[in-house]
Amino acid sequence: MTFDLDPDLDLRIDRVIRAPRSRVWQAWTDPLDLARWWLPAPTHCRVDQLEVVPGGAFVTSMSDDGVAFGPHLDACFLVVDTGARIVFTNALDSRWRPAKPDPVAMTAEITFGEHPEGTDYRVVVRHADAGSRRHHEELGFADGWGTVTAQLAAVAEAQEETR
Amino acid sequence: MSCAILSFMANHSLTLDDVFAALADPTRRAVVGVLGRGPASVGELAQSASMTLPSFMKHVHTLERCGLIHTAKSGRVRTCTLNRKRLGVVDGWLAEQRAVWEGRTDRLEQFVTNPQEPS
Repeated sequence: MTFDLDPDLDLRIDRVIRAPRSRVWQAWTDPLDLARWWLPAPTHCRVDQLEVVPGGAFVTSMSDDGVAFGPHLDACFLVVDTGARIVFTNALDSRWRPAKPDPVAMTAEITFGEHPEGTDYRVVVRHADAGSRRHHEELGFADGWGTVTAQLAAVAEAQEETR
Repeated sequence: MSCAILSFMANHSLTLDDVFAALADPTRRAVVGVLGRGPASVGELAQSASMTLPSFMKHVHTLERCGLIHTAKSGRVRTCTLNRKRLGVVDGWLAEQRAVWEGRTDRLEQFVTNPQEPS
């Protein structure tokens, strides 16, 4: 299935990763591998559940000190095409209970395609609009401006990392 | 994925770059801040920026080109209005979520292409 993207709600990232598809797939589906890259250092990541089957649980925790862990993601897989595609959502938690995650509910679709140089990697994330509405209702312009500068810095840092 | 959507996505990211570039300048950020309180004439804006009109107009054009503001001329007065929707491109949860996923993609790429190094 493919669906159109809504530019106000959705995001898409395309990247050619110079590693075999099987390697990238493993990095996503092996709990020890996933814990290595899922959260930015110095935050520690613990993969609590990773049942890579449709309906399977996807639960991760995070920690600043590596001792006390708090919730990070409580989600479930919707689609698993082995080696090719993963779809998961946090709108249903790992027990299939409808959830209202912060800041906004999303469905993420990760596609692992063939590419002459490795893996044609694509992320599409579709969001609910509840977060958007809440954001615009609750934040006055002055508060919104503080958010802008914080995010300008965040984006600049993210760009710096890729260099 | 249709060609129309692909070309839209390409244009969308160009827009994002333009908006960030426009906001990189303190004078232009101040203009956006003033217009956040309501529309203002170019003359008023130039005065509050302590700039001559010709050099200030360059900033107005930059902001207008990337869609952050609209301008309309009535008689001798050109009035600027903030386009809040365009500002929303960088302000808010979607930009934050994009940064999160870009970061994840960077770390995954680093991990699978260079797994021996601590990440």
